[in-house]
Amino acid sequence: MSFCLLYRIAVSCGSAAGCQNCGRTRPDESDFMEKLIYLDNAATTFPKPPEIYDFMFNFYRNNGVNPGRTGCDLALEAEKVIQETRQMLTKFLGAKGDYNRLVFSCNASDSLNTIINGVTKKGDHVISTVMEHNSVIRPLNHLKADGKITVDWAKADKKGVVSPDEIKRLLCKNTRLVIVNHGSNVVGSIQPLKEIGAVCRGKGVLFAVDAAQTAGMVPINMEEMNIDLLAFTGHKSLFGPMGIGGMFVREGVDVKPLRVGGTGVHSAYPYHLEEYPWRLECGTPNLVGIAGLHAGQKWIAKQGLDNIRKHEMQLARKLADGIREIKGVVVYCPKDLANRLPVISFNVDGFESADVGTQLDVDYNVVTRTGLHCAPKVHEHFGTIKAGTVRFSIGPLNNDKDIDTAITAVRDIAKSGVERAGKNKMVYEPCLES
Amino acid sequence: MLIKLPDGKEIEVDQEGFMTDPKLWDEVIAENFAKLEGIEKLTDEHWAVIRYIRTYYLEHDLAPMVRNICKTTSLPLKKIYEIFPAGPAKGACKWAGLPKPDGCV
Repeated sequence: MSFCLLYRIAVSCGSAAGCQNCGRTRPDESDFMEKLIYLDNAATTFPKPPEIYDFMFNFYRNNGVNPGRTGCDLALEAEKVIQETRQMLTKFLGAKGDYNRLVFSCNASDSLNTIINGVTKKGDHVISTVMEHNSVIRPLNHLKADGKITVDWAKADKKGVVSPDEIKRLLCKNTRLVIVNHGSNVVGSIQPLKEIGAVCRGKGVLFAVDAAQTAGMVPINMEEMNIDLLAFTGHKSLFGPMGIGGMFVREGVDVKPLRVGGTGVHSAYPYHLEEYPWRLECGTPNLVGIAGLHAGQKWIAKQGLDNIRKHEMQLARKLADGIREIKGVVVYCPKDLANRLPVISFNVDGFESADVGTQLDVDYNVVTRTGLHCAPKVHEHFGTIKAGTVRFSIGPLNNDKDIDTAITAVRDIAKSGVERAGKNKMVYEPCLES
Repeated sequence: MLIKLPDGKEIEVDQEGFMTDPKLWDEVIAENFAKLEGIEKLTDEHWAVIRYIRTYYLEHDLAPMVRNICKTTSLPLKKIYEIFPAGPAKGACKWAGLPKPDGCV
């Protein structure tokens, strides 16, 4: 069969229509995905719904001109999709006001860097939590090491939840920012944003949220939750591709740009524009990424956010219950998964987490994430900083069969793990609240 | 840091015991690493895994995928965990003189 790059792209992106270049149709989806059980959706959702790949492919192929720069109808069409996506996401996040304050970035880490560096100044105090990802921990640590800010880390309880009273306790006269991870990528705990936001708003302190794991999975209402700044990534539950993310900046709050340059408008002006979205965007935008978010918003609206969440949590409960009763397995989440993400961390006696992940992958085609998940403070909190954990994270395209296979696989591995544990003494302590 | 092997030879390793200079590896070092983990004599199965990993590393400057180790040696992963108690990455790759793999294995 002759080589056709466009055919290969159409096949790998799941295009039902096949290749528009050579006319070949793609093989059945099962050829590719039959054996793979992908339970690493907290790292990135995969695969995306086929219509999202189709939209990105066709849009970029047919409208991939430079929006806001090229003076042609195609550019206007491209710009229209960008602005529609801003509007859709602004509404989706429950934000009020000018949708141009929804700005695009590379990913959640990029947005969080902009937020943290863009609202703090020398002498400020920042409060964050032990449930954070390195995308918050590291920017804060760098500012602290440079002598610009001081930082306090709010403690969490045994279920991984931070109390608003803990935030209140840490507030100082010079507290400028409280920044909180909405949903833990390690143990799935969800923070009480509305209550924490109320504490911050009452004291006139900025409240920023890392919604990398929750945007598209848990309903968010920035207005009701008193959120001033919210960072999201595109490639997880918003179903865009990697390389696109964004943030919303509430009216009345301003973020100093970290990067300046071309905007495509007011080119004679010698400095970067202060108006949103250009204030926090420079250079040619990630058009295909934004198109992915556009298609993702439509897909979520069609499925219903509540339905997606209900489906994922039902599978998460089945999985957690199934592995919890296996001898030699320790699960790091409470029995009641109310107000949690479909993220189940566990360990198996006798093995390091990476070894369990390797066996799940090679012997059972089950994809997981192992180790510290870029969230070392969470592992310190749960006593798993040395061994890490194995993490299952469920997505909307998983089904009961996937979960059954995963449970059986863990049972098999645990059997040999228990034998090994007798020799290598690697036994995990049960989590107090599990 | 410098460690002393059971045969008295000293080699430089990182904090997790992987060789810092893979070029200095030889089969005697593999036997010594095995002894440190309580394996007195390497079998043909051990050598099949070690030699495949070593050859792949020298060609690609990377550790091979675990799937490929199993396929090439015809050893199921469970067997590899039996003969290399620390597993394919922290056991087999270490004994083969590789630096700590950071992904594939």
